[in-house]
Amino acid sequence: MVIATLCGMGFGTSMMLKLFIDDILKAEGIKAETNPWDLGSFKGNKADIVVAPVDMEPHLRDYPAKIVLIKNLVDKQEIKEKVLGALRELS
Amino acid sequence: MAVFDAILSLITLPAIVLGFIACVGLLLQKKAAGDVFKGTLKTILGQLIIGVGITALIGALSPIQVFFEKGIPSGGFETFVTYDEAVVGAVQTANLANLGAEIAWTMLFGYVVHILVSRFTKHHYIYLTGHMIWVQAGAFALLFHSFGFATPVVVVLASIVDGFYLTLAPALAQPVMRLITGSDEIAFGHGQTLLNMLGAWAGKLVGKPEDSAEKIEIKESFSFLRDMSVSISIIMLLVAFIGAGLALSQIGVAGFQEQISGGQNWVVYTLLTALNFTAGVLVLLQGVRMLISEITPAFKGIAEKLIPGAKPALDCPVIYPYAPNSLIFGLISGTIGQVAGMVVLALIGWPVPLPSMIAAFFASGAGAIFGNATGGRKGAWLGGFLWGFVGWLLISFAYKFQVFGDLSALGAVGLGFTIPDAIVPGIAIWGIAKLFGL
Repeated sequence: MVIATLCGMGFGTSMMLKLFIDDILKAEGIKAETNPWDLGSFKGNKADIVVAPVDMEPHLRDYPAKIVLIKNLVDKQEIKEKVLGALRELS
Repeated sequence: MAVFDAILSLITLPAIVLGFIACVGLLLQKKAAGDVFKGTLKTILGQLIIGVGITALIGALSPIQVFFEKGIPSGGFETFVTYDEAVVGAVQTANLANLGAEIAWTMLFGYVVHILVSRFTKHHYIYLTGHMIWVQAGAFALLFHSFGFATPVVVVLASIVDGFYLTLAPALAQPVMRLITGSDEIAFGHGQTLLNMLGAWAGKLVGKPEDSAEKIEIKESFSFLRDMSVSISIIMLLVAFIGAGLALSQIGVAGFQEQISGGQNWVVYTLLTALNFTAGVLVLLQGVRMLISEITPAFKGIAEKLIPGAKPALDCPVIYPYAPNSLIFGLISGTIGQVAGMVVLALIGWPVPLPSMIAAFFASGAGAIFGNATGGRKGAWLGGFLWGFVGWLLISFAYKFQVFGDLSALGAVGLGFTIPDAIVPGIAIWGIAKLFGL
């Protein structure tokens, strides 16, 4: 299972989301690879789930993965519910 | 002695020092051996990729500077690109007089000081924005290096300033962050802090927070600008064609193709120059990504163990969802501010930083959000403008007076720092050093 996080640069917001998700996965005892991606080059990469800020939605419309859009990037509860929800759907 | 020399040359090689930091971080997190090896290797490769990107970027930048030199007759002004990651990446790659290693060690020990300051003062913050940790360490190491100190002195002094900065900047911004986010959960961790605070202070004078920019309906989306490859291409194409147009007006098509493009058609040459610059930036960013992707989690893991309950200081985009309209106001007024700053600088004959879409979107956007928090929509417009205008004057000042030393001689040809959190403390310390005749 590969979870990618997306932002413009690929090391700011996406890195923060990755760290939050790592914490969540660890607490839940789930094993998955998490990778921060940048908007410019992500289409060449593969992931099962892509987590992104809600305003990135237009860039992700045709991307073949489960897309998780986050409204409040620092709301750990929202990230947790949405990511775990997506994981449940896929398993 | 040979062994000692080998060790010495290793600990003065930036890529190796950064790899070492990542390796220690991964070991402290008790990662598996395979992960430790992978992370260490990727960090070293990241630093080497940055060097490749820098070469391409500077290679494409010099023709654009030639355009402006040829295009503006008699006493034409000097132009340069303002891009923090490029400055630090370039001087670290060149590694003249151990500077690259000094930056890497400052990054490590500066963070140690930061953890101590956050632990033992009332300001419990953890600065987690990886590229800014690297850039700030680079700026302070450059600053003390420029005074001619020996390597250990540079690392000690730069680490102390860096460590205090990493704790105090989020603390300074926190009152405004509470207004923006409506909570006390997260802090601001980006080198923009001082100019964002200028926006917040100015906002207070011109408007009321109740008159928020966020009450206006805006349908337009600027989200395509968040794709670096698009936004940098647009701005560099504009800049390159304006420069090429100026050059053509002075030396004509034949002169252009003879003196600048080596016989190539001027349109093709200008187009390729602009896009090659963007390609260089993208390679550079890939290097930065690999460099910090292992170090940031390590710093986070260690800091959280040592400072329970600390607030994370995070990258600027975390505040964008709270004020998307202000972000767009800032993009517009910030661009105007940059152009106004360029005009003033050209008139007084100072070096002119070329416009930056990154600064307009990420920095003026954040400045506008700070302004909106204290002064509503008027504050947002003013905050974005001031970031561009005052920012451009500061950037030019630091470049002209070589506050961080002679960057061109150190490998960063035609490049300057952008972020006020490097430039303002830099100017203060540089000024004090001047008083003491350093």
